[in-house]
Amino acid sequence: MMITTLINFSIAAVCFINTSLDFEVSKVIEKRMRKEITKSFLCKDYELIDVTESPSFKFKNNTYLSDHRIYKISRLGSLLGYAFLGTAPSKTDTFEYLILFDQNFIQMKAKVMVYREDYGGEISSNRWLSQFKNTSLGQRFVYGDNISAISGATISVKSMTNSINYVYSQLQRRLALASR
Amino acid sequence: MNYKIFSLLLITLIGGNAYSQNTIDSLSNYSTQNLLQINGYQRILQNLEAVPNGMTFGGYAEVLYNQPESANGEIDVQRLILLFGYKFDDRTQFVTEVEFEHVKEVYIEQAFVNYSISNSLNVRAGLMLVPMGIINEYHEPTTFNGVERPSIDKDLVPATWREIGMGVSGRSDALSLRYQAYIFNGFLSHNGSEGLLRGNNGFRSGRQKGAESVFRTPNFSMKLDFYGINGLRLGLSGYFGKTQAANEIFDTNGSRVGLSMLGLDARYNFRKFTARGQYITSSIADAFEYNQLTSEDLASNMSGYYLEVAYNMLPITNRQRLFTFVRYENFDTHHAVPSNIIKNPSFHRKEITTGLSYHLAPGTVFKIDYQNKSTAIVDSDKGQINMGVGVWF
Repeated sequence: MMITTLINFSIAAVCFINTSLDFEVSKVIEKRMRKEITKSFLCKDYELIDVTESPSFKFKNNTYLSDHRIYKISRLGSLLGYAFLGTAPSKTDTFEYLILFDQNFIQMKAKVMVYREDYGGEISSNRWLSQFKNTSLGQRFVYGDNISAISGATISVKSMTNSINYVYSQLQRRLALASR
Repeated sequence: MNYKIFSLLLITLIGGNAYSQNTIDSLSNYSTQNLLQINGYQRILQNLEAVPNGMTFGGYAEVLYNQPESANGEIDVQRLILLFGYKFDDRTQFVTEVEFEHVKEVYIEQAFVNYSISNSLNVRAGLMLVPMGIINEYHEPTTFNGVERPSIDKDLVPATWREIGMGVSGRSDALSLRYQAYIFNGFLSHNGSEGLLRGNNGFRSGRQKGAESVFRTPNFSMKLDFYGINGLRLGLSGYFGKTQAANEIFDTNGSRVGLSMLGLDARYNFRKFTARGQYITSSIADAFEYNQLTSEDLASNMSGYYLEVAYNMLPITNRQRLFTFVRYENFDTHHAVPSNIIKNPSFHRKEITTGLSYHLAPGTVFKIDYQNKSTAIVDSDKGQINMGVGVWF
């Protein structure tokens, strides 16, 4: 009982500190992310709470995820879902992608926010990204098996696939621990 | 290779070295000792840190062995390319590739500035690859099967075909479409003393490669790539314009020819199966006048295609891949000829290439294949064994 209260309190504290988006997230990405959330959740009056550092979500980056942010999306006190913003490597640069989850962590949408180099930009295709749609955190993706290849964009396709696999596995573990 | 990884690697190496020199130091003090002991290298590290994160270093290389039947073989560092990129800000990037061919010839393969207005619109200018077919743009050894590039991408599309120009590129995520449109400098067809275009390889010797190139009239190039069907990528390329000629001969009839090149290409991946194909056709206006002036044997149409299928014999989850492939090429650089020359049957080439591509790690490949090359002349078959290693990082 006391532990639950403590966790609730810490989440509340994190919420309090992070009422506005982290300054590291550039204005362009923030604008694009807000647009996608509005499109997917069909509302504009939602609140974004940065929970990246909260104990139930916190995890480390790896090769395929050089930076990330996790936001709770809520409206009038009720949870709508989650937004995950990740940075993954392309051939010679990095790109930012967004994953929107519903409140049960079922993926609603994946979208490339910023892709910087010419090579591999094909992964931004809505059609290709739709392969990740409606998947739950337990799902794993295998390049060339349940995720199709894009000729001329192999490095970025693999990077995005590995990045999402890593994020799913980490979130799955965090949530399993938190619900224990 | 990402610059950060490169510097990390260097730090690791240096760290390891420092450690071996100080094995008497206790392990618990390792990190502090390490910091104190690397003074000798600190200057280098500081210099590395002084290089902003916008720097990129990469490259690709092919070391090949060709063994024709009953003749000397050739062993060659066919090409070694070093890529340098510098990102001035999120929108502005410079990319260059320095190429060493056969060890001793140096070229610049690309050198352009890309300014990104949005994901769907980039403006670029400089020395760039002409987007025609598959290989001219995607020619790193790990991206294609076969020790040698398809011959059609040598004699019909003069890969690596690059000229100075400017244009736009971008993509539509909703339509799964990539587009490129450029104005380029054209081929040089006459240098004042002789014609540079020939019947056996068309425009290959006319490439100016951005080196003190002659320019008067612009050429137009475009490519559309559609990848909206999972596993499939389709390309449509076009190149239209007129060649350039030296000042003293510019106004002489036949010193310049008109060129319209069209390309269709497809690449398909399904699990362990891949396939690709390409069709190229070039129409040359004024070939009659050109041949009359230069006594060359330039065709009025060059056309051809290749088809390739490959199968990965290793499990799909393996890091390594082992492709077995077969490729069939059929092209004719004398598909149609003007009335002042006769068709040369040896320019109608048919090649079958079959072999293995063993990807030891993503970015490193060992290749071996057998080629049967023939022409429209009866009993012209020739065999050749090729081997090679290729890297791309």
